[in-house]
Amino acid sequence: MKTIGRILIILVVFSIFAGLMVIVVNASGANAPDFNGAPQFRPEGNAGGIRPQSDANRPERGERDGGGLRWLSGAIRNVAVIGFLVTVIVWPKSVVKKKKKTAAVVSTDGKS
Amino acid sequence: MSNEVSKQTPSQTKTKLWLDIIIFIAFLVAMEPHSSGLAIHEWLTLSMMAALIVHLLLSWDWITEITRRFLGKLGGQNRINYLLNWLLFIDGTLLIVSGVMISEVALPAMGIKLPLGFAWRRLHDMSANFALILLGIHTAFHWSWIVNTFGRYLVQPVVRSFSSKQEKDTSI
Repeated sequence: MKTIGRILIILVVFSIFAGLMVIVVNASGANAPDFNGAPQFRPEGNAGGIRPQSDANRPERGERDGGGLRWLSGAIRNVAVIGFLVTVIVWPKSVVKKKKKTAAVVSTDGKS
Repeated sequence: MSNEVSKQTPSQTKTKLWLDIIIFIAFLVAMEPHSSGLAIHEWLTLSMMAALIVHLLLSWDWITEITRRFLGKLGGQNRINYLLNWLLFIDGTLLIVSGVMISEVALPAMGIKLPLGFAWRRLHDMSANFALILLGIHTAFHWSWIVNTFGRYLVQPVVRSFSSKQEKDTSI
C-alpha cells in the first residue's frame, strides 16, 4: 500500500511537469505545424524531396545505419563524456581529501 | 545514496546496484537510435520508466529526509545533490514527454496518433544531450557509493570464489 502511494506520488509529480511542458510549448507557438493549411513539412513518398547537400548522407529519423560498430562508437563517446565529468568532479575532491589527511597526520606527529 | 541519511539493507543496495547497471546500459542503447532502430529506442525508453520509478522508490528515504531538511540544517553536498536530482527528474520528464510527442512506432502501435510537433523534436535532442551531462554529474556525486558497492557485491564475491577454489585445489 505504501509503495503504491509512493508510485502515485511519482506519477502525479511527473504528470504535473509533463502537463506544464505541453502547455508551455503549445502556448509559445513554437509547435505550430501549419504551412498554409498543409500540415506537412515533407512531401509524400520519395518524389520531389529536397534536402540540403550536407544532409544527403544523414539518415532519416528511424532509419538504421552502421549497426553495432556505430552503436559502439556512440556508446564510447557517451561513456567518455560521463567519464570526463566524473574525473573533473571526483579527482579534485580526492586531492583535497588527501591533502587534509596528510595535514592532519603531520599536525598529530608534530604534537607527539 | 552515499550520504548521511542512507538506511538501506544489503539486499536493497544490491538490487539498486543491478538496477542502476541496467538503467545505464539501457541509456547508452537509447542514446543511439540510429544504430539500435527506432522501435528498440522507443519501447526501451518507455520500459525504462518503470526501472526509474523503482530507482526512486529505493531512494525514497533519502528523498523524503532531504526534502524535510532542505530549508533547515543540511550539508552543502546533499543540497546540491538534491537540486541536481530534481533537475535530472525534470529533464527526464521533458525527454519522455518530447519522445512521446514525436513517437513514430510505440504510440501508433497503441493506436494513438499525435499531431506533428516541430518544437518537440528539437526539445527531445536538447534534453537528451542535457541528460547525458546531468547523468555524468549524478554519477560523479555517487562515485564513492558506486566504487564501494561494486567492490562489495561484484568484485569481492568473484575474488572470494577464486581464492576458495585455489584453496580447494591446493588442499587436494
